[in-house]
Formats: sequence, C-alpha cells, structure tokens
Amino acid sequence: MAEVSWICKRTVVSTKPVEAGKFCPLSVLDRIMEHNHVRVVLYYRCPKERKAGESIRMLRESLAELLSAYPIVTGRLLKTAEGHWMIKCNDAGVRMVEARAKGSVDKWLQNFDREKELNLVHWEPMFHKLYFWSTFYVQLTEFEEGGLAIGLSCGHLLSDPICVTIFIKAWADMTLNGKMVTPPLFHRLPRRRQCNETTNPQPFPELINYYKSTLEKPVPVVQAKQTTIKIAFGDEMVRSCIAMSHAPGSPDEPSPTPFQALAGLFWVGISKIKGLKNGLITMSICLDMRKVLGLDKGFFGNCMVYNQVPGDGIEEYELSKAANAIREVVDTMDAEGIMNLIEWMEGKADQFSCLMNGYDLICVNLEHVDSYSAIFEDNFKPIHASYYIEPTVGEGMILVLPSPLAKGSFSRVVMITLPEDEAINLLEDKLIQQFSPTILMMADKKHTTANSDP
Amino acid sequence: MLQSLITHSTTQKISLLESNFWITLLTSSPSFKMPQRSPEFSGSVKLKYVKLGYQYLVNHFLTFLLVPVIAGILLELIRLGPDEIATLWKSLQFDFIQILCSSYLIIFISTLYFVSRPRPVYLVDYACYKPPVTCRVPFSCFMEHSRLILSTEPKSVEFQMRILERSGLGEETCLPPAIHYIPPAPSMEAARKEAEMVIFSAVDTLFKKTGLEAKDVDILIVNCSLFSPTPSLTAMVINKYKMRGDIKSFNLSGMGCSAGMISINLARDLLQSYPNSIAVVVSTEIITPNYYQGKERSMLLPNCLFRMGGAAIFLSNRRSDSIRAKYRLLHVVRTHKGADDKAYRCVFEEEDPEGKSGISLSKDLMAIAGEALKSNITTIGPLVLPASEQLLFLISLMGRKFFNPKWKPYIPDFKQAFDHFCIHAGGRAVIDELQKNLQLSAEHVEASRMTLHRFGNTSSSSLWYELSYIEAKGRMRKGNRVWQIAFGSGFKCNSAVWKCIKSIEIPTDGPWSDCIDRYPVDIPEVVKL
Repeated sequence: MAEVSWICKRTVVSTKPVEAGKFCPLSVLDRIMEHNHVRVVLYYRCPKERKAGESIRMLRESLAELLSAYPIVTGRLLKTAEGHWMIKCNDAGVRMVEARAKGSVDKWLQNFDREKELNLVHWEPMFHKLYFWSTFYVQLTEFEEGGLAIGLSCGHLLSDPICVTIFIKAWADMTLNGKMVTPPLFHRLPRRRQCNETTNPQPFPELINYYKSTLEKPVPVVQAKQTTIKIAFGDEMVRSCIAMSHAPGSPDEPSPTPFQALAGLFWVGISKIKGLKNGLITMSICLDMRKVLGLDKGFFGNCMVYNQVPGDGIEEYELSKAANAIREVVDTMDAEGIMNLIEWMEGKADQFSCLMNGYDLICVNLEHVDSYSAIFEDNFKPIHASYYIEPTVGEGMILVLPSPLAKGSFSRVVMITLPEDEAINLLEDKLIQQFSPTILMMADKKHTTANSDP
Repeated sequence: MLQSLITHSTTQKISLLESNFWITLLTSSPSFKMPQRSPEFSGSVKLKYVKLGYQYLVNHFLTFLLVPVIAGILLELIRLGPDEIATLWKSLQFDFIQILCSSYLIIFISTLYFVSRPRPVYLVDYACYKPPVTCRVPFSCFMEHSRLILSTEPKSVEFQMRILERSGLGEETCLPPAIHYIPPAPSMEAARKEAEMVIFSAVDTLFKKTGLEAKDVDILIVNCSLFSPTPSLTAMVINKYKMRGDIKSFNLSGMGCSAGMISINLARDLLQSYPNSIAVVVSTEIITPNYYQGKERSMLLPNCLFRMGGAAIFLSNRRSDSIRAKYRLLHVVRTHKGADDKAYRCVFEEEDPEGKSGISLSKDLMAIAGEALKSNITTIGPLVLPASEQLLFLISLMGRKFFNPKWKPYIPDFKQAFDHFCIHAGGRAVIDELQKNLQLSAEHVEASRMTLHRFGNTSSSSLWYELSYIEAKGRMRKGNRVWQIAFGSGFKCNSAVWKCIKSIEIPTDGPWSDCIDRYPVDIPEVVKL
C-alpha cells in the first residue's frame, strides 16, 4: 500500500518573463559535478485549521514569484561552442510534483528510511533530449493528518547542497515576507590576481593531483545496495568527542571543530567495519570554500572542493590522529590553493566525464548549512532536514549537518550512506555507541527494489 | 434632427441600390485586393485639399442649402418692417378649433415619433478578466509540454513550434491551471473551476467599478462557445450572486468567437422590450475542456492560439445611466455565411481518427473570412459612411457601369467613419488581412496586435481587451466612434459600432494597468525559439 501518492505534476514558471538571449556559463567547479545530483527534504508542521491543498497553493505562488530572480533555475542546459555545458535562460520553469502522504509528519519521522524518504523528493535522471530536461524538481507532499514535506532536487551541475539551502531560504523569505533577504548573485569564481612571475605557480600540488587522478578514473558501476542512516549527536556528546579527538600532550594545537571530530570518529569506525587492518580507508573531505574565497552569501553555484586525507599509519582507536590528519588537510585548503586548482581545471580543455565522489569514503561538511532558518510561516520552523548527494557508489558518504537545536550549540546530525550490512554493523560499533547518539533513521531492513525514477 | 432624418432616408433609398453593386464590385477582384493607386494621383498635396473641400461640402450639404434660404427669409422680414409683419399676422384668421386641432395634431405626431424611436442602449462600463501571473505560459514551457505529451509525434511538435513562432503571441499569455499539468487534466470539474475563476472575477470587478448590485440586474446573457454544462453558466452566475427570481437569463453556446457581438445584439433587442432595465453580458471562452491532445495538424492550431480571458459588460437603457455611461450603441450588423457549405465546415469541431475531439480549421479560412467581411461591410457601409464617401462610390459605380468599365473601382475610406478599430485578435493573419483590405494604418490595428501579444486569442472577449487598451493609452475622446468586428464559426462576421459619450480618463485598474507603459512592442515576424 503506497504511503505517498501523486496528485499531479506540473511546471512552475516565474511571474516575470526572462529577456530573450540570456545565457549563464557554468564554472569548472560546476561542470565537474555533472553526474551528481542533490536531494534535500525539509519537514514542517502545519497549522491545524489548514485546508488540504492550501499550503501547496501558497508555496507554488511564492515559488513563481521567487523564480523571477533566478533565471538560471528556469533555464535549460545547452552546450557551448567549446563543448562545455551552459544554461540558456529560456524561461521554461521548474517541474513541481504535488503529492499526498498518509498519517502525520511526526508519525512519519518515527518510522522512515532512505527509500521512503526518497519518495518525498522527485528526481528525473538526465534524458536524451537535454533541452527539455528540467534541472530542478520540487515536490510538495501534504500529510493527511497534518504536516508538510518540501523536497527539492537538482543537478549538481548547477548548485551544491549549500546553494540549494540558500535557494530554499530565499523561497521561505519570499513566502513569509514577500521579499528575499539575500538576493542571488550570479558571477564567475574569483580569479587569482596577477602576481610576480617568480612565485611558484603551483604551491599546493596535492589538491591538483587528487583532482587529476580522480578525473582520469572511469565512471564506476553501482555495486552493493546502499542504505542511509541518520544519527543525532547532542551537544555534550560532541564536546566529549572533541575532547577525545584532541591530541594529548599538545595543548597549543587548536581543538578540533565538531566536523573534524565527528569525521575522524566515523572514519575510524567505518574503516574498522570494512575490516581494514593497516591504517584507515582513504577518505576525501568536501568543504565549502565560500568564506575562503571571500564570496558573498548570495553566490549561486558550486563552491565545494574535495581533497584527500591520507589514512596510512593511523591505527584504529587513534581518534586524535585521525582528527589531526583531517585538520591538516583543511588548513591547506586556502584561497591560493583553490584558485590554483580552478586555473588548472580551466586549462584542461577536455570535458569532465568522471564521477567526483564515486570512489573513496567521502565526508562532506555541511554543518553550517542554514536549513533550519527556512521558515515559511511564522512559528513553524523545519523540524527535520535530510540531505542526499547522489549517486552514492563509492565506499560510502558521510554528511555532517546542523541540528534543529539552538545555533552555536555543538550538536550535529550525521547522515551516513553505506552498503546495507556495513551500516547495520556501524550502529552497533562500540566506539560510536559510547557517545550514545540518537538514531533518527534506521537502515532499510527489507530487500526491495530500488526507487523507481520515472 | 431634421438633417439626420433626411440623411437616413437618403441612405435607405440608395442602400438597396448600392448593396447589389457593392457585392459585384467587391467580389470582382478574386481575393478582395485593393487596386494600386497610381503614385502621382495620390501624392499630390493640392488634391488632398480638393478632397477635403469636397468632403466638407457634401457632408454638410444641407447646411449649405439652408443657410442661403434662412438668409433670404431674414432679409425679406427686415425689408418688410415690423408694422407690415404685424398686419400680415392679423390678416391670418385663426379659429379656436383650428388652433386646437393643429396643436393636437402636432403633439400627436411628435409623441408618435418619440415613442417609436428605438431606446438608446448605453454601455455604462465593462471589466476584463486579468489572469493570475502564475498561469503564465512562456513559449519554452509550452513547447516542452508539447514535446513531453506528444513524445511520439515529433512532426506535430515541430508544426506547433512553427505556429507559435509566427503567431504574434507574447510570453505573458495564460492558460488555465488544468492545462499546466503533465499530462493535462481537462475534467469537467476543472472546467467549472476555470469558469468560476474567470466569470466571477470579471463580474466582481464590474460590480465594484460601477456600484451595480446583483439584485438590480434585469437581463443576464453569458456566451461561452465550447463549454456548456447543465445547469448553464448563467445559472451559475445567478446562484453565486443571488440574483432576482424574475431575471431574464440567456446562455449562448456554440456560436464561436463572434458570440460577443451576438450577445450585445440580443441585449439591445431585449432592452427595447423592457424599459428601464439593466443588462449584464458576460463573454468568455473556457479553454480547459478543449485542449486537443491528439496529433492532427489542423486541430493543433487552436492549442497554440487560444488563451484564458473573459469580460463582463454593463448595458442599460435607463435615462439616469446616460450621464455616467461611456458609450452608446449605434449599430449592430450581423452577417452569416452558413448557407455556403464551405463556410459552414471551415471551423468544425470533430473527432480525429483516434477519437480525440478538437476544432479543425480548414485551409480556406482566410478566404471565407474575407467573404464574410465583405458582406458585413456591404451592410454597414451605408449606415456609417459619410455622404461624401457614398457619393464618390456611387459616381465611380455609375461611371464603371455606363461610361468606362476600365475606371478604377473606389474603395470607401472607413477611417472617415470611425476613429478606432477593434478587430478580433483571432490570429496574426486575420489582423494583417483586415489591415490590408481596409487600408488601416499601424496605429489603427495596434490595439488588436497588442491584445494578441499580451493576452493571446481570448475569443469573444478579445474585443473588450482591445477597447480597454485604447482607453488605457488615453486615445478615446468624447464623440469618437469605435467599430468592433468579430469573426466566428458558422461562418459569421458580426460587428458593432459604439459612440463615446463621455470623456474617459486613463483607468488606474484594468487588465493593462501594470503593463501599458511597455506597449506598443515591436512584434517580430518570427520569434526564434
């Protein structure tokens, strides 16, 4: 018995027409993510007197209003003369699916898994005639007994999860107040200022090497069925994890951030589950570079960079070494290095046909993503937020997300995607258990077929 | 009054004579083409003044006749002197009975005249429906939907794209919500919802604008060609606004895009029978049930052109409304070419070989429209053209008949009869044809072209959007005459002539209020998609 049933699918267009002949180029960081897509689900409670369909209608109208400021979202993919992707702003709109779900949103959140959650966010893989393929999909699901789920999916070519969250926040501002707090900015990534010839042109080759090696790999094939679990760590638990990750005997070194501590914890844990004996599994971290590059908050596009963290020589239970290794890599990713990388990538004339996060264990830092301030109606904050970066075909993916509690707290929510049996084993691991986290979403127990994408 | 009586009888006499000749003349050229005037003839400035002088002379002929007569009488009176006039007056023997009978006769004749005069029909105000911006359909969205729905018929999709590129529509036309779904969901409930949305919005705006109350409406006419549920749309309006039990309601369906003029005609006739009455006419077209989902090319055209729209019009024959009324109805002329088989079948609703129903447009549509227009012009010409044009035409006719058949036929200049033209925005081709045949300038057809661009073909209500455009541009002056022409299935050509009786300020609300500053726009021949 299907819990989520479709009402209809339609296209939402902006309220103001786009002038003809507008094109938006995509940066190298955008184009490298061609084979990925992002899915976000936000859950809300609704006022009791709300009639069926009213929330959806209200949101649809405010989305149409918002899209007038985002011609790139309503455009379609086209290839430039050089063979790179770009967006033609042809005012074609975004697809919207309206659906209905049984029960209430709270009941749903007590008993849901990856498969059920992905039913709340519609996605259509790129089809042959790309000019008619919408890059953004919105799904609005009303719960019969109260509540609303907003699902947004988009090609990673256009935006990363942080950008998607900014878009949702702008939508919330538009619905609540009729105007955006942070209007979007569409511009190129910053360029390196012309400097002396004498300086070393590539001071940080590791980053470029990592990208180089990834680009040369073929697109991997999906192997074992993956599942996602969601774990919440309270403020106290994260603090104790940080304390544990802090290398003893080096009080001058800065304390690991919650991301570094949790990433280190799961790195160690997952390596153990996978049965690695010498050292930890290769992990890549993915960080937001907006602050590093000095970009404005409204920047629209991809700005997350991956880098590898070497795991050799770290034994299991050596949490502090793991966290330290991560911190070292984070520190090397500065503006200079990123701009070098961008320059190098732009120099590569061929297209990027790799899958960026398809090999190693990936750990993405989304802890400062602003999803809980996307308030569509007074006094109704999101009660839950889920993020997915698909497809997950590598060793696994860890997303460190903020928690719904007060800002400034160290509590975090972690979403981990692993092959099914590994996920179940991870939950029972002693190292994880000692922090007594709350399990928000369990692994899919049933062996059913994968989500059917229309 | 005397002058108009004489003009009327003159035109009556010559109209019969003329109509046959007009038909012969206008059908002489195969596709109603305007014969080219030789350049030196029309380029001469001196001739222009001769023409103006001639027009002034003929149109005010009676004034010119009467002036010397009155002058003569005055001179005679002055010459006679007051004493002589007094003696003349006393010599007339007036009997009391004679005076009484004469005055009784005069009073009787004048009463008979006033009573038998047709009641004037005033258009107090009208309101056009402005679709919500969320129903907007840009070209790219329309083409995408078409591609997704007709994925197995790329040729039909290509055809639709070519039509859309050349259609003259803009990016802000609107389709009802049910058509935005993939695939479209045209249920009866959705059609009713659209009808409620359009009609109630237009009627609410009309009531608010004019201060009219629902209980005061005596006659209600709704015309919607393709959607005709039971109970009728008229009953829907009466139910929503709780109108009176003795209201005279009429629902016209199946009459095509010219049904708006038919409704006005019906309202006028009813207002002759019922004194002191108010009539509300609602013209609309409900798109939801008629979105063709098959692949026949002749039936895909309406999908590309028809858009959501509606208008509500407040007509009255009450004297108290004559002060605030904007227009007065002068003439309504209806011509029907249904007797001809080709005309009857040229806009035909039928099922395609796959059983999907749609409206098929035949390839002779323009030719038949031309024929219908000729008939309409033939009838309306004598009613509206000034005497100078009619005389010229008569002379040219006589000349061709009796002297030299090689004389160029004279096409009367309708621009002298009317100040504004509202041509049904049926499609770019219709407007182009009429502009060419009636020799109208770009400004005359601007209202029609811009309505087609902004609102698409809204069927019977498009004439009201065009009138609204002219008012929004501030071009309507008191005393201006407007000609509204509509074509429709059948094949019919109906037109109405209105006279502006009040100076009209530029409206602050209305369908054009937020975009009139952007118009007129230059509409390219082909929009590249």
